[in-house]
Amino acid sequence: MYISYPFCAQKCTYCNFASGVFPGNLEARYLEALRAEIRGHAWAWTPETVYLGGGTPSGMKPADLAGLLALISGKPWAEATLEVAPGGVTAEKAHAWVEAGVNRVSLGVQSFARRELARTGRKHTAEVVAAEIPRLRAAGIRALNIDLIAGLPGQTEASWGESLDWIERLAPEHVSVYMLEVDDDSRLGREILLGGSRYGAADRPSEDQTAELYEMAVERLARMGIRRYEISNFARPGWESRHNLKYWRLEPYIGFGADAHSSDGRRRWQNPETVEAYLESPGPEYSEAHPEEEKFFVSLRLSEGVRPEPAEWRRYQETIDRFVADGLLEVRDGCLRLTGRGVLLSNEIFQEFLTT
Amino acid sequence: MDREFIRNFSIIAHIDHGKSTLADRLLETTGALSQREMMEQVLDSMDLERERGITIKAHAVRLNYQADDGHLYQLNLIDTPGHVDFSYEVSRSLQACEGALLVVDASQGVEAQTLANTYLALHHNLEIIPVINKIDLPAAEPERMREQIESVIGLDARDAILASAKQGIGIHDILEAIVMLVPPPKGSPEAPLRALIFDSWFDPYRGVIILARVVEGRLRVGQKIRLWTSSQVYEVEGLGYQSPKAIPCEELSAGEVGFLFANIKNVSDAKIGDTVISHEDPASGPLPGFEEIKPMVFAGLYPVESHEHGLLRDALEKLRLNDSAFNFEPEHSVALGFGFRCGFLGLLHLEIVQERLEREFNIDLITTAPGVRYRVTTTAGELIEVDNPTKFPDPAGIKQVEEPIIDATVITREEYLGGILKLLEEKRGVQKKFEYLGGGRVLLLYELPLNEIVLDFYDRLKSASRGYASLDYHLAGYRISPMVKLDVLVAGEPVDALSIIVHKDFAYERGKTLIERMRKLIPRQMFEVALQAAIGNKGIARENIPAMRKNVLAKCYGGDITRKRKLLEKQKEGKKRMKRVGRVEIPQEAFLAVLKVASDEEE
Repeated sequence: MYISYPFCAQKCTYCNFASGVFPGNLEARYLEALRAEIRGHAWAWTPETVYLGGGTPSGMKPADLAGLLALISGKPWAEATLEVAPGGVTAEKAHAWVEAGVNRVSLGVQSFARRELARTGRKHTAEVVAAEIPRLRAAGIRALNIDLIAGLPGQTEASWGESLDWIERLAPEHVSVYMLEVDDDSRLGREILLGGSRYGAADRPSEDQTAELYEMAVERLARMGIRRYEISNFARPGWESRHNLKYWRLEPYIGFGADAHSSDGRRRWQNPETVEAYLESPGPEYSEAHPEEEKFFVSLRLSEGVRPEPAEWRRYQETIDRFVADGLLEVRDGCLRLTGRGVLLSNEIFQEFLTT
Repeated sequence: MDREFIRNFSIIAHIDHGKSTLADRLLETTGALSQREMMEQVLDSMDLERERGITIKAHAVRLNYQADDGHLYQLNLIDTPGHVDFSYEVSRSLQACEGALLVVDASQGVEAQTLANTYLALHHNLEIIPVINKIDLPAAEPERMREQIESVIGLDARDAILASAKQGIGIHDILEAIVMLVPPPKGSPEAPLRALIFDSWFDPYRGVIILARVVEGRLRVGQKIRLWTSSQVYEVEGLGYQSPKAIPCEELSAGEVGFLFANIKNVSDAKIGDTVISHEDPASGPLPGFEEIKPMVFAGLYPVESHEHGLLRDALEKLRLNDSAFNFEPEHSVALGFGFRCGFLGLLHLEIVQERLEREFNIDLITTAPGVRYRVTTTAGELIEVDNPTKFPDPAGIKQVEEPIIDATVITREEYLGGILKLLEEKRGVQKKFEYLGGGRVLLLYELPLNEIVLDFYDRLKSASRGYASLDYHLAGYRISPMVKLDVLVAGEPVDALSIIVHKDFAYERGKTLIERMRKLIPRQMFEVALQAAIGNKGIARENIPAMRKNVLAKCYGGDITRKRKLLEKQKEGKKRMKRVGRVEIPQEAFLAVLKVASDEEE
């Protein structure tokens, strides 16, 4: 299960999510609505994994967080992740989180380079992250993820190398590497559209450079024993995020809160995107799930690939052959996988498996 | 009506010099329309005409005017198309008149087109009444315009009427001048019938409607008629005139103007300039001046969605019902699939057809670069006409190529001469005349290859002169030129729809600019794509589009499958609008790049 907490201390310049800074009283109303939504849910299964995402759920009062998790059965969960913004992790908080059931922390570091961080609007530094990780470890967090973004304004091979050096030093079990997608609705996106230079808009790495940076990370992380298991996700063997794997393997999941998504394998539904809309009408929007199609554009993201049915082989034979010939897909033991180059061009491949 | 009280006239004016407003005012003053019925500019009836401010089809309106001499006159205002593409129609409309109002903007002066049409009118012996319009504007210089009309056209402008159609000034003077100065028609109503067709269009209920001027004899409902150029006999089913509403009548006699319908199925059977004669009492010869109109500019029209090919054919057929000047035949392009090679009178004509297809028929089009018809003599001594680059013979098989040449008249202001002369030189022009018209205005007469003006000449002329240049041209023959076919190869495969025929000396620059432009327009593919420009087997320019490096969704909340699907669908949809050549997806804009190449050389 997923819980969305879209409140932040500041809005990142590249962010286009419906999360951000809101008036204080809204937070209390939101929590109330969230609790009501969880309480009202008719559970068909007991959650195996819990994921508190945002937003910045680490900004929640520890008591509120504990109160939320207390509403969910299945504790201790196989995996319970809390997204944490570096810069406010105290020993007390870390203990309180673990007490509430959290056993995995995802740190939204994004970069260890001071200048890059400043331009995103983030307040932390590499040193702060380095100081906070031991506190988390001391409180009992064994699984740790660090988020990095490739393609941030001003990023160079050298600065990216520094961030990767920090990863090596801090030795997390899991790393996420996202390639920056600038949305026109973000502050950075608007600045780029206007041709301005705020937030480093003018010295953003090109798409090709971003691809280079990503590949550099793939290679260096592999040398550290942190291997890619999904396009943006890397882990030491056995430390893959069980929660995220459920998405890619099309297993059922349920989400609570603004913009949370759910799927039971037949249908998908989605809560209102903004906090305001969520508070007004918590009613979700439903759509059909198409597992036979999603299998390709979702599960192919995984390094383990997908195993097409005989009928699917026949149907897509020509397409598969073409991509194999171009070196974008590979077939081994009846399994279809993206190659390294295929990962970076995956949208081109996925499109061909859409039936519409 | 007694011929003595009939006056047939037209209005010659440059775009924006006030022709439509004046026409409206005449209609209103003579009571053809009440103020309340007055719609802005009633004569320009097609939407497109109104938007562009250009009359595309001719019209004829009958006005009843009670003159100061106490008599009631029948004035027939025959409107003429206002663009050089339609000069043949203009000449037929003028031939139907005895007089013309020459309307000149009091602050703008005589323009090339006005000049050309005035000469045409003088050629048909029309009485010309100069009208200096817009005298109410602060910038008006009526005296200077008088001088200009005298010096440029050579007309006596002492009695030019000062008018403001907008304010209603001078309208009465104009009507009186028409009555007093324009001669009444001459032909006898007792002679065998000869009527001049000056326009025709298709009406779904009546078949072809002909606008005609009865020159001699009479037209009657029920009469058996023929057209001079064919033997088909028709029976007149209806006659009438526009006032401006259609008013039926039983007879039109010598001197009168009106419409007729006789169950004629195709506009191409009632050609403009043809003569209507009586079947029972045929005249011994046609009226002079008939010509088969020949398209001068050719382009391929293709539907973006190949399944719309049938729709496009139906649309073209419907358009041709009303426009016999335009023709089409099916063609096939390896790159674009099934489409049509179309012939047009000129670029404006092409644009009008294109716009109507997109607007009225909702068809997305790809238009290939417009070109002209070349006369190619092969080494075997055979003469072939080529209007499609893909049919241009192999260089080894060509003995000589002749290209159509025009005489182009440009009138502009001195201060823009530099840029315009440069443009005319660049377009391989040969100067034949250079004349100062006074008041800072200059007339240039150039011999130009037609091929050079079909791409971007108007736009370039406009920007070189900030809009203060007018152009008129007519076909002046053929000239031997070293023309070559320039091919574009995408990933090693020639893309037929991108081939153009250019002068040898321009081939290298064109080829280079073209593929540079295309490199920017063709999105990166999953493999490296080579773009080449070549003449025959010889490559003259090359560009590479590097392979696409990255198209991946890497930052998206895992559970949001819907958003991922939408993004993929959007990307896939975008590709549907591209044309696949070999394995390369080429967007529509890349095909249009050919059209814009020349203007880039300027930048």
